[in-house]
Amino acid sequence: MYRAVFVLLTFLLLFGCSQPPVAQQLRPDQLDFPPLEFHFPQIVTQELDNGMKLYLKEDHELPLVEMTLMVGGGSILDPLEKTGLSEFFAEVLATGGAGELTAAELEAELEGRAAELSVTSSDYAYEIHLSLHRQDLRRGFEILCDLLRRPRFEAERLELARKQLLESIHRKNDAPGSIARRLLSEAIYPQHPFGSVPAVAAVNSFSRVDLIDLHERYFHPNNVWMAVSGAVEQAELMVLLQQLLADWQPVQLPDMQLPELPSAPPARVFIVDKAVPQTSIMMGHAGISKDNPDLLPLQVANYILGGGGFNSRMMREVRSNRGLAYSVYSYFQIGRHLPGMFIAASETKCGSTSEVVSLMRELMQQMIDEQVSLAELALAKQSMINSFVFAFNDTHAVVSRKLRLGFYAYPERYLETYREKIAAVTVADVQRVAQQYLRPEQLQIVLVGTTADFAKDVGGCGLPLQRVPLTIH
Amino acid sequence: MSRKIFLFCFSLLFVLPALLFAQSLAEKVQEYHLDNGLTLLLVERHASPTVAAYISFKVGSVNENSQYRGVAHLLEHMLFKGTKIFGTKDYQQEEPLLKKIAGVGGRIDLLKGRSDTDPQELQQLQMQLTALQKEHRQLLVKDEFSKVYAENGGVGYNAFTGKDQTTYLINLPANKLELWAAIESDRLQNAVLREFYTEREVVREERRRSYESSPSGMLYETLLATAFKVHPYRYPIIGWECDIENLTLEETQTFLRNYYSPVNMVITLVGDFKSAAALALVKRYFGPLKPGLPVPEVVDQEPLQNGERRVRVIFDAEPQLLVAYHKPTMPHRDDYAFDILMQILGEGRTSRLYQSLVVEKQLVTGVSVFGAPGSRYNNLMTIALTPRRSCSCVDIESALYAELERLQTEPISAAEIEKARHQILTTILRRLQGNSGLARMLSSYEVLGGWKYLVEYEKELNSMTAADVMDVAKRYLQAHNRTVATLGRGGV
Repeated sequence: MYRAVFVLLTFLLLFGCSQPPVAQQLRPDQLDFPPLEFHFPQIVTQELDNGMKLYLKEDHELPLVEMTLMVGGGSILDPLEKTGLSEFFAEVLATGGAGELTAAELEAELEGRAAELSVTSSDYAYEIHLSLHRQDLRRGFEILCDLLRRPRFEAERLELARKQLLESIHRKNDAPGSIARRLLSEAIYPQHPFGSVPAVAAVNSFSRVDLIDLHERYFHPNNVWMAVSGAVEQAELMVLLQQLLADWQPVQLPDMQLPELPSAPPARVFIVDKAVPQTSIMMGHAGISKDNPDLLPLQVANYILGGGGFNSRMMREVRSNRGLAYSVYSYFQIGRHLPGMFIAASETKCGSTSEVVSLMRELMQQMIDEQVSLAELALAKQSMINSFVFAFNDTHAVVSRKLRLGFYAYPERYLETYREKIAAVTVADVQRVAQQYLRPEQLQIVLVGTTADFAKDVGGCGLPLQRVPLTIH
Repeated sequence: MSRKIFLFCFSLLFVLPALLFAQSLAEKVQEYHLDNGLTLLLVERHASPTVAAYISFKVGSVNENSQYRGVAHLLEHMLFKGTKIFGTKDYQQEEPLLKKIAGVGGRIDLLKGRSDTDPQELQQLQMQLTALQKEHRQLLVKDEFSKVYAENGGVGYNAFTGKDQTTYLINLPANKLELWAAIESDRLQNAVLREFYTEREVVREERRRSYESSPSGMLYETLLATAFKVHPYRYPIIGWECDIENLTLEETQTFLRNYYSPVNMVITLVGDFKSAAALALVKRYFGPLKPGLPVPEVVDQEPLQNGERRVRVIFDAEPQLLVAYHKPTMPHRDDYAFDILMQILGEGRTSRLYQSLVVEKQLVTGVSVFGAPGSRYNNLMTIALTPRRSCSCVDIESALYAELERLQTEPISAAEIEKARHQILTTILRRLQGNSGLARMLSSYEVLGGWKYLVEYEKELNSMTAADVMDVAKRYLQAHNRTVATLGRGGV
């Protein structure tokens, strides 16, 4: 019954999406606490002769090895008429066999060893994760190298993956939350990979040649970053890398031509009719990238607006004071190269849709118009500074974070200077970045629910209203 | 006070590394019982200066009756509202106002469901309540627990309610452990369930979000209400809509008073502390709590199912299918056989159902097999299937039943059983990574009857033979013991 306890956590109900001390009269938060001893964990970083980058952190507590690899590429490079190709590539890479192993043999061998393999595609990268028993390190690593260098993309698995993807297209209008999210991206990034979703015709056009092309373009050692943690010794790993990858030669990588973002459309409201008693509300506009010098002040500002859970204004006003929603939040999706989205979202019974939308917009406007209080600023900063230690809580998280910082070329000492930069943020900074990066005039608002219950009210909000029919292409 | 050893035996395939790990953990996992009945589990881990702190109660929605369904979960929400010193500017001043709010709120609840209620009176009361709530807000320090934990670096401050248990958790920098003890012991003794009528609305929104607007939530809820006729596992944890809107402050307070006491309570700490100091801290803060009375066992027994049950949910979404069979729960021997059986059926791409229904016959796009909805009482083996557009549920069911039939007629090979065992044990091993994951696992099993279940688990699992699995398949995977729930747009 080991499975019952854990699978069922998905059905448990979380509170949120998150005697006074004996012999003393102090409140708990007035107690004295010892200082926290914290040292940045040491991570081995190495570049191999063929250009592959390696990050390693040994941890011998459990007999497991975890590996995460990032390969430059990803969905930003999918041509619009081939939207979904990178996602399809990732699926067939994982399931289509490699080297001497057929698809079925590869699966049988990994699952027989209780290994876990996944391949995903994100905006700028393909990501491979492999979890192994310590004693399977060599064999697992051989399979991983075959996957990187000699994928088979077997025809049968390719067709299976195609059918699965087509099925998921047909299911894209099932859940109100995912409809809202999709329409929001489409509204913010029209005719851009960020705002495109796979269509039936595109998926039907994917061929094995497309996959081989992608593999040949991106899968070269000088385009691979690898993080390893767990029960593995550095010397042993280096021997394996030498034996299995020394003959893998680097090549000149293609230039990554990132498609320019479309100009921001003016604020508007999209309403979508779906027979559910609660409206999914999503609003947003283009945000910032990691290279923006205001990154950290903006994260402090967003903590106060909607990022700080119960300590944020959105949660306080919409949920805690008015009982209008269970979940309400905002965040800046930090674009690794191009700007990502600013998103604010909630769900409320259809009849109070307009009230919640107005409240959320007012709270954004308030960040622009007024300075936050010193107390709010202090709480946001202390929370971000004091919880920093949790960035290092889990060994694989430590090493894969370092991998990501390297892959996306974050500034040197980004982590080391994080706390002091947060500490330096002022009330004036918060207002300045709110004014600069919250853009009510560009806000795209998507509402999915029983429109008869809210269309009229929302119509009075002063923004152009557009009804979007739910279709499948 | 006793100290127990955490022992993990692994199959021959990987005895060496597994034992190394088991030995290192055996030195760390400790179990203590305070005089008031509180159970404390400690695991020292010094890899990062953090602690995961879990408090679990052996009470959940299964312990409710029809008068107050949903109260376990509503109480969990209400316990974030503060105490006499947290969440308020001045409790003395606040107290009379709380009484007034309770009076008006209670009156509204009394009148709102009656046909002879004067709508004007009701409206007036509503306005009065709104005005009182506004006045009350002037005296509040909003969500102060959350604030104090956050400024001290806490993350993941949350709670969850299940069928069998309720858990409150936080991860803190290691130097703030006393803050946790002080806050949580205050919360248990001096909780003030303020802002009740607002929070009840939040829970109604949560229900709309997780069930009424979610096809999978609706289908799951309907499956349970059909598969169980008598046992309270049939009710949703959150309660039905009409349950939630009629829950009272008094019922919520009574549930807290009756069940949140040391005899029903397990504290699990995993992380960077010294055990002796942590034990002393827990004793100092939680030792003075009065023991309380154990949660009574649920007496309702689900009668044997004597015929297939089928139910249909109409929802604006593509088809979904759930098939469930009643089965015994832990630590019944059959439950271990089910663990192996479910692994063989549904876990991974080489599992039988994935191979047969997804890869070969291409009838569905996904399959998962899991135990539900709780683990304290006999439960269900549940199979979730996502049909392909062109495939009918009839064909899918036939293919599924053919696979279940095969389990009853063809012996499973030793290799297939061994693979399932290895995968199950590795999954448990992976859950030991990270303080919070380990704390959650120990805490969950402890409230279900003792974490030592995990110690015995592998031995039991290894003792299962192909014949045992076949025998279980024959006894339980029969049509009369089955419930089938489907969802889709049409009426079929």
